[in-house]
Amino acid sequence: MEKIKVPSKVGIFISDPGGRLGSAIALDSVLQRLAKMKNVGRCEVIADIWSDGFLHSVMEDVKAGNLNRILWVGRFSPNQQKRLKSELASAELNPYLHEWCDIEEQGIGQEGTDRDIQTQKATMLIQMSLSRARFLEALEPIAMPAVESVLIVGAGVAGLHAATSLSKLNKKVYLIEKESGIGGKVAQLHRLYPRVCDPRCGLEFEVKKLRESDKVEVHTLSQIKSLEGSPRNFEVKIEKQPRYVNEERCNACGECNKACPIQIPINEAFSPTASGKGAVGILSKKAIHPSEPMNFPAAYVIERTYCPPECRECVKACPTKAVELEQTPSEIVVRAGAIIATTGWDAYPLSKVEEYGYGLYPNVISNLDAERILENPPELKEIGFIQCAGSRDERHLSYCSSVCCSASLKQASYLKEKLPDARIYIFYQDIRTPGFDEELYQKVKALDNVIFIRGLPSTVKPDGDTGRLKVRAEDTLSGKEVSLNLDLLVLAGGMAPSAGTNELAPLLNLPRNNFGFFESHLQCHPEESQRAGIYIGGSARGPMNVSQSIDSSHRAVVESLQFVDGTFLVEPTYPVPDKTKCDKCKRCMEDCPFSAFYFDDQGFPTPDLAKCRQCGNCMGTCPLATISLRNFTIKQMAAQVQSIKASFLGKEEPVVLAFLCGNDAYYAARAAADSGLTIPPNVFFIKVPCAGSINNAVIADALSIGIDGVLVAGCKDGQCHYVKGNQLVKTRSGDISDKLKKMMIEPERVRFESLEIRDSEKYVNLINSYIQDLRAMGPNPFKE
Amino acid sequence: MPPKVDKEKCDGCKAEKESLCEQICPGDLMTLSEDKKGYCRMPRDCWDCMSCIKACPKGALETRIPYQLGYHVARLIPMMGTNTITWTCIDINGKKETFRFINRGSADE
Repeated sequence: MEKIKVPSKVGIFISDPGGRLGSAIALDSVLQRLAKMKNVGRCEVIADIWSDGFLHSVMEDVKAGNLNRILWVGRFSPNQQKRLKSELASAELNPYLHEWCDIEEQGIGQEGTDRDIQTQKATMLIQMSLSRARFLEALEPIAMPAVESVLIVGAGVAGLHAATSLSKLNKKVYLIEKESGIGGKVAQLHRLYPRVCDPRCGLEFEVKKLRESDKVEVHTLSQIKSLEGSPRNFEVKIEKQPRYVNEERCNACGECNKACPIQIPINEAFSPTASGKGAVGILSKKAIHPSEPMNFPAAYVIERTYCPPECRECVKACPTKAVELEQTPSEIVVRAGAIIATTGWDAYPLSKVEEYGYGLYPNVISNLDAERILENPPELKEIGFIQCAGSRDERHLSYCSSVCCSASLKQASYLKEKLPDARIYIFYQDIRTPGFDEELYQKVKALDNVIFIRGLPSTVKPDGDTGRLKVRAEDTLSGKEVSLNLDLLVLAGGMAPSAGTNELAPLLNLPRNNFGFFESHLQCHPEESQRAGIYIGGSARGPMNVSQSIDSSHRAVVESLQFVDGTFLVEPTYPVPDKTKCDKCKRCMEDCPFSAFYFDDQGFPTPDLAKCRQCGNCMGTCPLATISLRNFTIKQMAAQVQSIKASFLGKEEPVVLAFLCGNDAYYAARAAADSGLTIPPNVFFIKVPCAGSINNAVIADALSIGIDGVLVAGCKDGQCHYVKGNQLVKTRSGDISDKLKKMMIEPERVRFESLEIRDSEKYVNLINSYIQDLRAMGPNPFKE
Repeated sequence: MPPKVDKEKCDGCKAEKESLCEQICPGDLMTLSEDKKGYCRMPRDCWDCMSCIKACPKGALETRIPYQLGYHVARLIPMMGTNTITWTCIDINGKKETFRFINRGSADE
């Protein structure tokens, strides 16, 4: 840290409109005590902060150099704080040199507490803030330039919508897709619910926008190879597989396709069975064929693995000389300010759900296969649907895949249109049709010969040589056994994380949840991955239907804009290591929830300002207490702690120091004071950006000056805004408790608790019971 | 006598090439075993400077006091504050004394 050259001269102004504070505490004696403190320039009680004379005199003092930091005591709304900062900025006082001390939220001014004790507590609270104010530094926000482009990984429905809306916002977009064409899973569907329309229609609409826009660069047959740089300036290496057809020359006339002698099976995941001989007939294509699933880019592609090495039929046939069999994989590098991952989902492999015989019997098909036969269904009399094939099953996917019920109902209703005489059986556990999908359910229920059976089949066997299936199940509603002969059985398979997700996660260092989808804070920031500048759109973060995917991708677009919009201001309160003390132990790098650290040229860990969220977990974890958030340093915290006189209530009465997480526990404490709950005078609290920013050295400081109990209040597990700050501080405070045990001091003197934002009463009860416990323990042996 | 390592607590300083105890030991005696836990490789050379004990971020190290100073039960435990050390001395009868020192070189003004 820089040496403070000009000594701090702090102006302390206690705002007391209406004399409310003056009636609760002896302000005179507070002023007397404060005036004697080091670094105090001016110290006054002000009845009206906004009177002209007062602000004018403060400005004069600042200009004359009599004051260079200001501590405001009392309650100031955020707007008032802003106004004071801007008024004084005109006297050239840096806005980071203000400190705010609200003593009422600590319980000062409440009835029923001794005036003398309140006065002493208020004095100490102001002294605590003063010791923070003394070390404040003048700071300036840091401007960081951003690359005005976004990289989108996966050109399914979510990726397409993200790309088109970004292009409308005039941002450069790189759209990466590993298949030969765009469209993803949705392009492979036949009908979309609830309007039962063709998905290609909606997709073509988006593709049209892509064609017209010169802002979108589509790279098919491409995959990310590596990621470098930081948010606002990522550098991504992309590997492109050869298409063997020159995209610019090919005009998709189809001559090559006619000439090609090689028939290949259609995308295997989609063939009715693995052997390709299904009840619904084999579908095949040529080795050279249009891009799939949608023919955008409008160029053909060759699947060279199927070609005989010497065959040149397509080369001969092509009138535009677009076939280039010598192409090799190539690499490109793109620069992007933000990344949106829309890697989507894959169908859960149904062959793993052995009891239904998928892959063994040709007429057991998946719901994705079923989409293929919807257009021209063969003559079928009896069709069965099995819901939750793999979903909501601990052996397979433990979650609900959320779309399969509506999807099967859609298929059933469409099949009934095409085959009015068919009977359809739907085996289900629960039908889940949230929102307006209920309408579809009611519609299908009202159809003739659609029978719902609550209970999943126990056996699926071929019925002799008839080619039909024998299905046995128990209808749990009637309690009767059902035995049916079916022509076709459709398994409503679940949604699993896609292969693309599996490949992308380690490359981008993205955390994933227990189910393998990308992790995010589902309620508050659903589209944020835990890496700054990288967002998740669509079903890459969990099962969702098409409209939810589009919603989600648009949200990701909005969030990503902050990273691609010209210049961005970073708050200057980021962590800085003290290089004279840091021994490069790298614990901060290990514990940073956002992997924001890198090594600078001297080998010291340094936060990447673009990635850093300024939670202070590095500062909490540093074993040497050398890394600190600017203007919220460990030194300031220690000075604050040391301003507390632990024996101010007498040696026997315990004093508690609470460190409250600024995201919830602090609000609970403040609301407790505001709502008139009695806050015992024994407790002082310090607001911290995250419970994880509390260093054990500060706790040790508090104990060694005789504070009887230290309470650390953070979020509940899984609710921490900074992912794991609460867990980190929990283990650390456990370590210090163990040390206390060795020192023959009660380990309960350090306590970790979880508080939610509305836990005001819990907070007060917690403090009261803690004080009781501490009374029983007796005073801290270090107390003087 | 070398320091005692609590293997449950010691995490081998996670990512580091050298653990903190290894970095700080003036005799270069501390090192990591194969299971990534700290240990003293030359117990007879340790002169009980307690540097490693102060440096350990997990509180996994504890001094074993030489018998010339005190038998089992006797303990000497430092607790590191931001600019203070608080020592706890426990003698063989379980009698406890504490001392608090302000570190040199940390006073600013």
